[in-house]
Formats: sequence, structure tokens, C-alpha cells
Amino acid sequence: MSNTAAQEAETLYVYGIVPAGSPEPAVAGIDGAELQTVTAPSGLAAVVHIHRSGPYEGPDEDVKRWVLAHSDVIDDCWTRAGAVLPVSFNVIVRPSERTGSPAIDQLTEWLDSSAGELSQRLDELAGTSELRVEITLDQHAQAAEHAAVRELRAEMESRPAGVRRLLEKRLDKLERQITDQAADELFPVSRARIAAHCLQIQGYAPSSRTKGAISVLSVACLVDELQITALGAELAEIRDEVPAADIRFLGPWPPYSFVDLTAPGPEQDGDQQQGQQPTA
Amino acid sequence: MSHPPQPPRTSHLTQGAGLAKDLAERPAALQPTRDPGATLPDLLEVLLNKGVHLNLDLIISVADIPLIGVNLRATIAGIETMLEYGMMRQWDEQTRAWVQKSLTKHLPMADGEEIVSAMAASYLHDDFYQAWRPGRAYLTNRRLILHRRDPAETLWQSTLADISGVEPVQETSVGGETRTRLKLKMRDGSEEMISAADPQALLKLLRTELNSEGQSLGGGANGSAGPAQQQVGPLFSGSLWVLETLAQGSTWRGGRGTLEEAGDFTWKSPMDSRPLLRCGPSEIVTVERETLNNPTDHDEVLRVETSRATYRLASPELSKWQQHLTEWAHATKEAPHGAAG
Repeated sequence: MSNTAAQEAETLYVYGIVPAGSPEPAVAGIDGAELQTVTAPSGLAAVVHIHRSGPYEGPDEDVKRWVLAHSDVIDDCWTRAGAVLPVSFNVIVRPSERTGSPAIDQLTEWLDSSAGELSQRLDELAGTSELRVEITLDQHAQAAEHAAVRELRAEMESRPAGVRRLLEKRLDKLERQITDQAADELFPVSRARIAAHCLQIQGYAPSSRTKGAISVLSVACLVDELQITALGAELAEIRDEVPAADIRFLGPWPPYSFVDLTAPGPEQDGDQQQGQQPTA
Repeated sequence: MSHPPQPPRTSHLTQGAGLAKDLAERPAALQPTRDPGATLPDLLEVLLNKGVHLNLDLIISVADIPLIGVNLRATIAGIETMLEYGMMRQWDEQTRAWVQKSLTKHLPMADGEEIVSAMAASYLHDDFYQAWRPGRAYLTNRRLILHRRDPAETLWQSTLADISGVEPVQETSVGGETRTRLKLKMRDGSEEMISAADPQALLKLLRTELNSEGQSLGGGANGSAGPAQQQVGPLFSGSLWVLETLAQGSTWRGGRGTLEEAGDFTWKSPMDSRPLLRCGPSEIVTVERETLNNPTDHDEVLRVETSRATYRLASPELSKWQQHLTEWAHATKEAPHGAAG
């Protein structure tokens, strides 16, 4: 890309950061935008498209389409280049307001000035995938054999429809209580078993709730590609041990959740702390 | 229809499953799915909230406007939960600015006014008629606002300066459940009643804000019974790190430990929805110090061995935790209670 006056107002929409010399992406960008690679002297490159309007903004349906297109590009980079730092949706590089330096120079400068951190993270994430695990318990299945539930069910059989409807509410509440307790017990155990296969693990709020399903755990897992089957086997065991458990297992994806370059400080509650080896 | 609803899945393993287990030692590994139909909400969540957010005012303009309806984005980000925890102040500036901007789009803030917490809540309208009006409670460093977004209406609001105190009140709801409501005592002598998704959290945050507003909670300090007798607080609680074992090495997780006098010792991360550690006093085997790298200034951590697992805990208040845990485990061994399960 040459640096002409006409291009000065152009901004660059960034999809991801890859090692320089990575294969060119084979897909198109958002709304068919043509993808380009901006390579910096430091050996890093950014996959971008030339963007002439503001940030993407619109109805949720449009945003979903854009986000999926954005993710397709990252996925393509990840498959071809083997390593990618996914960039968040709607990150746009603009020319400097102060110096007038064009967007491409701004981006190159940034790639160079952050090269140490970016390269290190790219190396660390090479050969890894993100997988997501969501475990829920089906409240009917979990509580079915519970004495109080069986009693209540038996009582319902003998009651007229009106009373039965009231009892159904009580049954629902009882099932939920029983299942919630079971979930409390299952959570620490299953998290520990899953964590043992992960390089990093991060909890998140589950995306959707199904009626009758009590959430036990939702975690994003950073997993060595060679360990994915082992994690899957662990999950299969959990599923077989806990018949009421329903397990969603998503991925493998590029390591979206694990590119955070700055870990929060020790005073801050929360995860994503810098890993510490338990050395004495 | 005279049958109770059919459970959506059977609760018993079929006979075939037993056979299959005999054929292979381990069950076939679960295969992850990449089907976009199943994974779209998850993809949206990560792409809107994760990934490299270039941290540079100079070069990169990260669009800080909510691109997807605030509701959708807030839900997928778990921001709701974080807000309930009153974790606004622990976020980085960028996130804070984003949340502030999203929330204040429909709820104008004064200069320097910052959201501390927000959660689903109701206001007891008690004028010509009495009715709970649902909306959200927004606690800022200046005000408490009960607001409904759609259609937009501020159901009730007050500056913190006009609130003299807040107390939890137990009420039995129609369904027979006991609910905690918050009774607000106003400077003008009136009272207001609100309910909230997490009343204890809101109570605590509200009290903190009222205090930092320079209010002595006992506006009627010289007589009226304090709130203390109403509250059954934990024996000891505070921030605590827990070591989690991973495939390679281990990592310290930040969170909160709580020791209930007649209950369990729990530890919960704000990122999790359930405690990762829960044990009763009778399960404690040993509480000992051990030298280990940890995020605090101490060289040592606590090694807590229970009948189920061994945990390593780090804290700036290590001695206090050690003392409380030891005493708590010991006391209940002498005089066992039946509460722990």
C-alpha cells in the first residue's frame, strides 16, 4: 500500500496479528471486504481491510453477521498460520490526528513497539486451541430418585387437576433445590478435573439458559492441541458418572479468550492471573 | 393431559451403555463441536469481549460504543453479574468507561457521578395503590436510582445524602419463599421499600457508599437499635487466593473466602457462579503453613488439608486466616453441630 494523500483519511480495520510471512488469508473480510496484510519490520503482520467509514454499528442481526465474518477471518489465519492473536471486533486504526501520519504507519509503529509482548504471546499460543465446556444438570433427571420428589409425584397422581398444578410448582422448586445442591458439589470436582488438562482456564457467564437445566460450570479452556482428546475423554467420564449431566463441548477455536496481554494486578479479584509455579 | 410432563431425558443408563462400558475401559472421548448454529452466542461473546484490544489512545481508536444492543452484550459479557458484585471499581478504565457509557445512554449521570452497582430490582410503589414496580437499581457514588428502561421511566430516586440508613427486612412472598427486602430510611422521616436480585450485596454496597458520603449510619445514633442485631454476618471473610492445578504448573486465583460460624468455609471467585471450595469444620484435617511463591508479600501460604482434597491459600492476612480456620475447625469438633452436610 502506497502512502498517497488520498489514502490519508483511510482507516484500517484489524482482524488479527500473525507472524510475518504467514500465508495470505483465503477468505474475504466483513461484507466481502478485500483483506490485506500489513507487515512490520519486527516480524509481525496484521490482517486488515481498508476501511472508509466509522465503526460497525447497527441492528443485532447485522452485528451477528459482521462478527461471524470477523471470526471466519481469524479462523482462516489460525488454520493457515498456526498462530494468531485474534483482535476484538471493531478495532480500527486511524491516521494520527497529531502528526497526520497515515493509518498504515500508525499500525506498523504499533506492531513494532509492541513486538516483544506480541511475539511472546504468539509463541505461547502456538499449537493451542480454545475449547469451551458447559455442564448443566437436568433437574428432572437429577431429582427423580429423590425420596421427597417421589412422594410428591405420588401425591400428585391422586389429586384433582387444580391441586396438581399447584403441586407442580412445588415440585419444580424442590427439584431445583435438590439439583442446585448437586451442582454445588459437582462444580469443584469437575473444574479440577478439567483444569488438569488445560494450560489456562477461565470461567464465564453461560450464554443461554434452558428451562429445567441448572448450570454447574462454564469454562473457556486453553488446551494444547494434542490434549483435546484427553479433555474429551475426561468429559465423557464425567457424563457417564453423572447421568443427569448435559455437557456442551465447543471448539476447537483460535484462543480468543487467552490473548489478554496485561494481567490484572494482585489486588484485583478475578482470574487470569499470571501463572505462578509452585516452587519452594 | 393427565400425565406429569415427561422428563426430557431418561435418568437411567440403558442396558446397552453398560455393555459398551465393558467393551472399552474408557468411554469414547466427547467430540467438541464447531457448528456455528450451536456456537453463535459463544462466538459473539468472545469476539465482542476478548481478543487484543489495542491499548493505545494515540494510534488506535477502539470503538467504545455498544454495537450490539446493551442487553445482549451485557448478558453475554457477564457484566450483569460483575455489576451485582459492585466490581465496577476493579475494572480497568476502558471497561469502566464502556459500561458507564452504555448504562448512562438511557440514564443521565452528573459530572463525576459513577456507577457502583446495577442489578434487577423492584420498587414498592405505595401511593394511591401498592405495587411492586420492576426495573433495575443503579447505585452510583451520588444516588440510588430505580429505573425501568423500556418504556423508560425513573421509578424512584434519591441522593445518598437524603438516605439516613438502610435495613434488611425479611418478608414471605406469595410463593412461600422468604425474601430479603431493603427498607430505606429517609432523612425526612419517610421510608421506602425495594427488593433486589442480590439484596445482601446491594445492602453492603449501599452502606459503604452511605458511609463514604460522610454519613454516620446512626443518623439516629444516639438511641435507635443499630442494624447489627439484624445481621448474622460471617465469622470471618476477606480476599483470599487459591492455587489451582493446571496441565502444566498451577495458577493463583483471586476471590473471597468466607467462614460461617455455624456453617461452611467457602471460597468463591467472582468469575465463578459457585464456590470452588466448600467444607464443613469436621472435614478439616490440618491447617499448616508452607513456603510457596504466591501473589502476596508473604513467603508462606496455608496448606489446608480436608478429608476430600488439599488446598493452598494465600492472603495478606495469613495469620488471621490460620487462626480463624484452626479455631473454627477445633471448636466444632468439641461441640459438633449437625448443620454441615
